Amino acid sequence: MSNTDFDAIVIGGGHAGIEASLALARLGFETMLITQSLDTIGRLSCNPSIGGLSKGNIVREIDALGGEMAQLIDKSMIQFRILNQRRGPAVQAPRAQADKFLYNRLAKETVEGQKHLQPFQDTVTDFILDHDSRNIKGVVTERGRRFTARTVVMTTGTFMEGKIFIGDYESPSGRIGEPAAIGLGSSLRRLGFRVARLKTGTPARVSSASIDYSRMEEQPGDPDIIPFSFANETVDRPQVPCWITYTNEKTHDIIRANMDKSPLYGGKIVGTGPRYCPSIEDKVVRFPDRDRHQIFVEPEGLGSDEMYLNGISSSLPETVQESFIRTLPGLEDVKIMRPGYAVEYDFIDPRQLLPSLMTKQISGLFSAGQTNGTSGYEEAGCQGLLAGINAAMYMLGRDPLILSRSEAYSGVLVDDLVTLGTKEPYRMFTSRAEYRLCLRHDTADIRLSEKAAYAGLRTPVAAEALAMKVKGLDEIKDLLASRRVGKKELEAAVGRVDGIEQRLGESFEKLMKVPGFSAADLLVLDPELENRNRRWLEQAAIDIKYEGYIGRQEKQIRRFKRMENLKIPVDFNYDTISGISVEAIEKFKDIKPLSVGQASRISGVRSSDIAVLLVALGRGAGVSEDDE
Amino acid sequence: MKELTYNTEDPIAALATGWEESAIAVIRTSGSDAIGLASNIFSNKGGLQKAEGGTIVYGYVVDPETGERVDEVLAAVFRAPKSYTGEDSVEFYCHGGIPAVSVVLSALKKGGFRDAAPGEFTMRAFINGKLDLTRAEAVHEIVTARTARAHSLALNRLSGGLEKRIDGLKKRLLDMLSSVELLLDYPEDELDGQAGEYPLDAKAVSELCADIGRLAESFKAGKVFRDGVPVALAGRTNAGKSSLFNLLLREDRAIVSEVHGTTRDYIESWITVKGIPLRLFDTAGLRASDNPVEAEGIKRSGEVIAEAGIVLYLVDSTEGLNEEDEAFISGFEDAERLIKLWSKIDTVPAAGEENDADIPEGFIPVSSVSGKGLNDLEDALSEAALGRKGLEDDVVIDSMRQRDLLSRAKEALVNTAAAAAEEAPLDAAAMELRDALDALGEITGEVSSADILNNIFSNFCVGK
Repeated sequence: MSNTDFDAIVIGGGHAGIEASLALARLGFETMLITQSLDTIGRLSCNPSIGGLSKGNIVREIDALGGEMAQLIDKSMIQFRILNQRRGPAVQAPRAQADKFLYNRLAKETVEGQKHLQPFQDTVTDFILDHDSRNIKGVVTERGRRFTARTVVMTTGTFMEGKIFIGDYESPSGRIGEPAAIGLGSSLRRLGFRVARLKTGTPARVSSASIDYSRMEEQPGDPDIIPFSFANETVDRPQVPCWITYTNEKTHDIIRANMDKSPLYGGKIVGTGPRYCPSIEDKVVRFPDRDRHQIFVEPEGLGSDEMYLNGISSSLPETVQESFIRTLPGLEDVKIMRPGYAVEYDFIDPRQLLPSLMTKQISGLFSAGQTNGTSGYEEAGCQGLLAGINAAMYMLGRDPLILSRSEAYSGVLVDDLVTLGTKEPYRMFTSRAEYRLCLRHDTADIRLSEKAAYAGLRTPVAAEALAMKVKGLDEIKDLLASRRVGKKELEAAVGRVDGIEQRLGESFEKLMKVPGFSAADLLVLDPELENRNRRWLEQAAIDIKYEGYIGRQEKQIRRFKRMENLKIPVDFNYDTISGISVEAIEKFKDIKPLSVGQASRISGVRSSDIAVLLVALGRGAGVSEDDE
Repeated sequence: MKELTYNTEDPIAALATGWEESAIAVIRTSGSDAIGLASNIFSNKGGLQKAEGGTIVYGYVVDPETGERVDEVLAAVFRAPKSYTGEDSVEFYCHGGIPAVSVVLSALKKGGFRDAAPGEFTMRAFINGKLDLTRAEAVHEIVTARTARAHSLALNRLSGGLEKRIDGLKKRLLDMLSSVELLLDYPEDELDGQAGEYPLDAKAVSELCADIGRLAESFKAGKVFRDGVPVALAGRTNAGKSSLFNLLLREDRAIVSEVHGTTRDYIESWITVKGIPLRLFDTAGLRASDNPVEAEGIKRSGEVIAEAGIVLYLVDSTEGLNEEDEAFISGFEDAERLIKLWSKIDTVPAAGEENDADIPEGFIPVSSVSGKGLNDLEDALSEAALGRKGLEDDVVIDSMRQRDLLSRAKEALVNTAAAAAEEAPLDAAAMELRDALDALGEITGEVSSADILNNIFSNFCVGK
């Protein structure tokens, strides 16, 4: 059928590359994963944790869509927590500390064990294109190998023309000790892609044996572990604590005194760093009034002595790093094992991508992860998965899988990237999602199961698990509607559930709507509920409690979808419409929005431009659109 | 929305001043080749073509078919984007009067311009980014403003007064939302005491809510200034309605006589009281009448009174209150719309001062002869039109769209306050705040959720 060496080539074996190559191979496409080192597949380059606010939701979305990340963390976690327990279910999210060596090994084993997937160690330096450079044909490697393929997915992370900085020290590397991938960035520039530089950083790793933990606060995990993967009933893993300490004025004085040695402030680094994850130098400069900053001390793995100093990333000279780190309580005699450093790398302006993550310029070439200007394992993972799925859809001649802002954080992420681009490493935040009440982590399977089925990645096990869950939830909701707080229940609960005395005769359902009552109280009222799936019970309780808010959010979503459903033909000729500003026309032609909704989110586009666009599309206000 | 299908390519022309006798009339044109086309019908063709933007060229408008000079004019040249519409534009200042204007317009049409549709100049200004929505809406009113006060309110809006006000409200809302989002975007343990436990200050929420509510309610005042308020004079026959009508008009418009039932049909006229446009109706006096003409007049009076925004009910002080008066007053449902007047106080014998004691409770004594009481009456009219507090500030809204969006924002904030009161989880409260912010953003035609993150990053040190 195909006269190419492979159906697909994935460049890079990080979190995006793993998902992309596994998805392609699982869909039966012969796939080659080319990485500079087979030993670093799935390496956690920075913090040893997966998940977090909105990121935990993304991990569960990846799982619901048939990706791997949730399985990897479920099998390698060494601490689990649900964050933001008190701030509402929509913004709660799971986070786990990972044994990063175990995570790395499991990722490698998964890739190696996957049928149709061939891992290969080399460095891609150039692309093979057809005669008019419109279609991808394959890749060229550093060692001069040429591999042909129908599709290529770029997931280069921080390696594309990567350069690390520690004080005066500079080295062409993607991670410390690992050489950069030189050549591909130049190829992209030569082909006319807009390529720019971003910067990120990582803190020092120190020896656990040299830390005095008695001077730090202990931060234990939650007793109850919720698996990230919907396919896992339970996770049985050992849990170890993290630790909290603080910087102080002495720390800040040392940093201020050595600011001239910072490559960032000395002007050597041109790439833009993330505002949300600033280096300690940045924090000291930008927030001079803060007398301390919180630092988390996190284990890198169960068998390792290395500890990760979360919150103190720095590219100051190693000796300076050592002296300011030693001002922190508990770290007075600490031994640095690996210094913190900054890394600068090439990324492509993601506005050059379609929402399928395929480049507009070269058909068959997809891009995902840090290559697109994002930051974070989870952000990379969901893009890798979507790029892999859409490379497959492209080969199958089917419509790409595009998630809406109202159905997944992953959808928000891709839409933001291809519509707005980014000026700094893009990280997901819950506030980026307009409809987060409907994007809870515990509903990712319900939200995305059909999408996984469309892509062909829904396993029979996952389908069965979801069907059982939906049935179980319905049963529980019916039960809660019919059960009442009777005399017997009241007797059991008085003194154990605050305010229950006033609730005699009320249904359990109504009780859940009263502020202050929770699923845990139901278990006191009726111990028989213990026999039900605890997580489903909690989910049902949240659904009931938030019914009104969720209903209003769904109304907002319907309003939003009206504009999303107004599709713009791909070959729409913007030059023929008058009345749209020149600036807007240029942006429309560049971004190629797929819907009027997407068009309206492009920065610099005015409502008047949208009004005229609607008219030009033949959609005045009188036109009714499908609500769904 | 059909009017949106204007072809924005066409050169357009229209009379900008009124279709009436005047010394000078202004005809406005606009279009990408407006200057070239205008020069074709202009005696000093080269002068017009070469004229810089913002200059005036003297010459004649020439009929392109007959070659006849039809009017002596000044032509003001505006070059894109520095014009009202943002396109090239020529304005002709020609002689006033309908015949003169007609021949110039006819020459323009022969020269390739078409008649502009209503609002088309403003529509183009909006499309070309010269006006935001609130300003575009304001232009309409400046043109149609009925009084100087209404005119200045509209001008204020055109200068962005409303936009500024809404931006101010948006800023407060954004700060509120950012402090909530901060807590939602970062786990408790990472914030290190940077934010209080419950970030929503119930008082600040309700203050903001009240401010938005006030602006929404200014729609009523905006409508008063735009449409005017119908005011009906009512009362028994010969109560002095027509005399008062003439006094308020400051001309003898209504026929006044001592014969009961002189006014058979209502008459109306525009007046201005304290800057408020009022549409004043003099009605037939109320009495049982066998005369079919008068009976019909009384019936119509009833309709006018029912529909009036304000009713002035006159009672002849020389006659005093009778049962009919009391029946009308007590039968009047909306007391705030009713102003009761004690008329003809000039005809009461000279020792009038003592008679003040006889004035019934709630009546304003007026004399159409001496003008006594007129100030009190005007105060009462203003209060009835705008409410007791009058117009509290210079920014008022006037479109239903704006009012509906403000109401949506207000409702969302009421929900926020309720959520805050029961310390509902923040994610729910944030949804309401966002809805409010979106509604305000829609008024000025822009919504940005990136603003929230920017605000967080600039105000707090967060992140590991």
